[in-house]
Amino acid sequence: MASILRRKLVQSIGAAATLGPFAIGSSQAQAHKGDIVIGAAQPITGVFSFAGVAMNMGLNDYCAWRNSKGGVMGRKLRYVSEDSGFKLDQSVAIFKKIMAAEKPSFFYGESTQWVKAITQDAVAAGTVMTSSTSLASVVADPVNVPQHFVPGPTYPRLHEILMEYIAKTYGANKPRIAYVYADTEFGRDGIPGGKARAQKLGLPIVEEIVTKQAGIDVAPEVAKLRRARPDIIIFQGYILAPMPEFVRQLGEAGLKPQIMGTAWGLDRPAYDALGKLGVNLAGASMYRYGHETDSDMINQMREYLAKNRPDVKSISPFFISSWLSGMVFAAVAESCIKANKPLTLPHMKAALESMKQWDSGGIFGQLADLSGHQVPLGRIYAYDPAKQAMEPASGWIKV
Amino acid sequence: MRTGVFHETFAAEERLWDSATQRRWMAAFALALFTLPLWGSDYMLAMACIVGIHTIATLGLNITTGNAGLISLAHGAFLGVGCYTVAWLGKLGVPFYLTLPAAGLLTAALGVLVGLPSLRVKGIYLAVATLAAHFILTFVFREWEPVTGGVPGTNIPRAQLLGFTFIGDRRNFYLIFVIAFAAAIATRNLARTHIGRAFVAVRERDFSAEILGVRLLTTKLLAFGLGAFYAGVAGGLLGYFYGAITPEYFVLTLSVFYLAAIIVGGLGTVLGSILGALFMTFVPEVLRLVAHASSQWFPGVAGLLLPMGQVVFGALIIGFLVFEPHGLAAIWARVRRAFHLWPFKT
Repeated sequence: MASILRRKLVQSIGAAATLGPFAIGSSQAQAHKGDIVIGAAQPITGVFSFAGVAMNMGLNDYCAWRNSKGGVMGRKLRYVSEDSGFKLDQSVAIFKKIMAAEKPSFFYGESTQWVKAITQDAVAAGTVMTSSTSLASVVADPVNVPQHFVPGPTYPRLHEILMEYIAKTYGANKPRIAYVYADTEFGRDGIPGGKARAQKLGLPIVEEIVTKQAGIDVAPEVAKLRRARPDIIIFQGYILAPMPEFVRQLGEAGLKPQIMGTAWGLDRPAYDALGKLGVNLAGASMYRYGHETDSDMINQMREYLAKNRPDVKSISPFFISSWLSGMVFAAVAESCIKANKPLTLPHMKAALESMKQWDSGGIFGQLADLSGHQVPLGRIYAYDPAKQAMEPASGWIKV
Repeated sequence: MRTGVFHETFAAEERLWDSATQRRWMAAFALALFTLPLWGSDYMLAMACIVGIHTIATLGLNITTGNAGLISLAHGAFLGVGCYTVAWLGKLGVPFYLTLPAAGLLTAALGVLVGLPSLRVKGIYLAVATLAAHFILTFVFREWEPVTGGVPGTNIPRAQLLGFTFIGDRRNFYLIFVIAFAAAIATRNLARTHIGRAFVAVRERDFSAEILGVRLLTTKLLAFGLGAFYAGVAGGLLGYFYGAITPEYFVLTLSVFYLAAIIVGGLGTVLGSILGALFMTFVPEVLRLVAHASSQWFPGVAGLLLPMGQVVFGALIIGFLVFEPHGLAAIWARVRRAFHLWPFKT
């Protein structure tokens, strides 16, 4: 009798283990008719979780905020996200799972390789538009990646913006520029664009150093920089380390160049740490910072967070980026609904490409042109030691 | 062995599945698997394709490490070699039934090269030597832009056969599982040949094997070459499955993933490779789904529950190492034995 019970128990556990995950999946698949579904594979755990948590929050909060304002033409936005752990296998599986269960019209992914991996399926499905935190140039391609848009300028465009600013600010005194970048896509992607624009503007690149993303012996690289004696060092591909160590050792060597960076490398952890070292820090940002008050949309974010997430003290650019992607999703949906067209990829792509003067509520300082599936617009910010924050150092630069 | 199985001929002795019950179960399993695209959801199929690819790669590492006892930390990079070979040949218009064997053969040749240090060093020293191979290969993936596409990666043209394009998981599933099935049977047969027995002899004590007449040079290099061949084919399939790939996929943790799969599944067995690949793919997924569902019921602790999935996964692996070092295959064998003998012995 005991053996029969044991066998039944083993069978039950086996069945539960096999069917359990799918049962969970189906229980969540209770679609509300008429909702506009936004799916997401967000790296809430894993090496990219520092950004993933903010991105997940940003898109989730945009949907909630928008729904509190009546949704999109009376239709609610429904956000369905799962943790991808920043693993390609997992994020692609999540895409397929949510696509099958929820039939989302929009999807937010975690990385460049995710975009590349799902593109053929997304195009074949013909019913989904995607975005992600990636600013890689290969995914801002209306022909080969037609379903995707980048919520800002790509890395090459950001570096072109930097070079334009340098050329304009320094005038005839052409500064000596050194590049230090990580041997990753995040590090490398923008460099050729930046170098090409520097060459066009007559700006000399006197040193180019490629490092690993982490665990770097900085001393030999600093020795190279000492020999090159650059006026400006542009870091790319790092969130924080090894920039402070570079700066410290450069200071010990008697060098105090202008330090520059772009986008995610100028988030609060970086400017707080570098600011404490007394660095002359500036860089290209695609959005206004979360502490600025002259953007209506960022003010709305701040109000929403103060009311619903009082523990969040500052708005990260990752939060702004995914919120902005949500805004574009909503604008595309609104355009299709107004034109009485179904949310299919050709209609959504046409709607996106018609957004040539789109108002982002001040997240970008000018009307944004999304026709190229990116927004080639940015602004230079410089660290203000008195305010301990990044403050505007230029007008908005379009490239 | 189960009771009531008597071999009267050599042919009966040679069978892979030696009882009618085993054959029936195997047929049912194959049928369930091959009809999966008809009844499975897109998500199940995507996961099944990923498991199929990981199974082929795990089978390969189990030949090198499980059977022959040669530790390889370059297995993830071998997958990359296969993937980029398929991508490059595919762009030249070579059909998939040639690109996949070519990927396997090229990777096998590289595997032989990487296996050369195994003639002089073993254990942890060999692991370090293969680690160097991993870093060299991943460097090539990033830098050899005309072939690999460099850091941004490359696209892989879809496999085609007589005008039929393997696009979408339902079609790719058949491509992957026919090859996975063939790879599993080939591996099972390999273990029963003189080559398979030579691998085991080398694993147990290589100089004793040499005294018994096993040629160490050939055997060790063959173990590396065969393992790499499987990895190359798996890498090629990975390319066809995703349609695009970047070097970021072939990081060291991928090699560690396969090492963990053979340890958890069971060293030196086909079943161990399959169960290991299943465990390593599905358990994090199940834990993630459970954590995700729980976080919806308890939103206040969502931030804690999601990372806990990884902690539980790590604890499960440690638990296996401590309580069942022979892996899931041994547990499976015990469960089967208990059912076979029931009710006479429990």
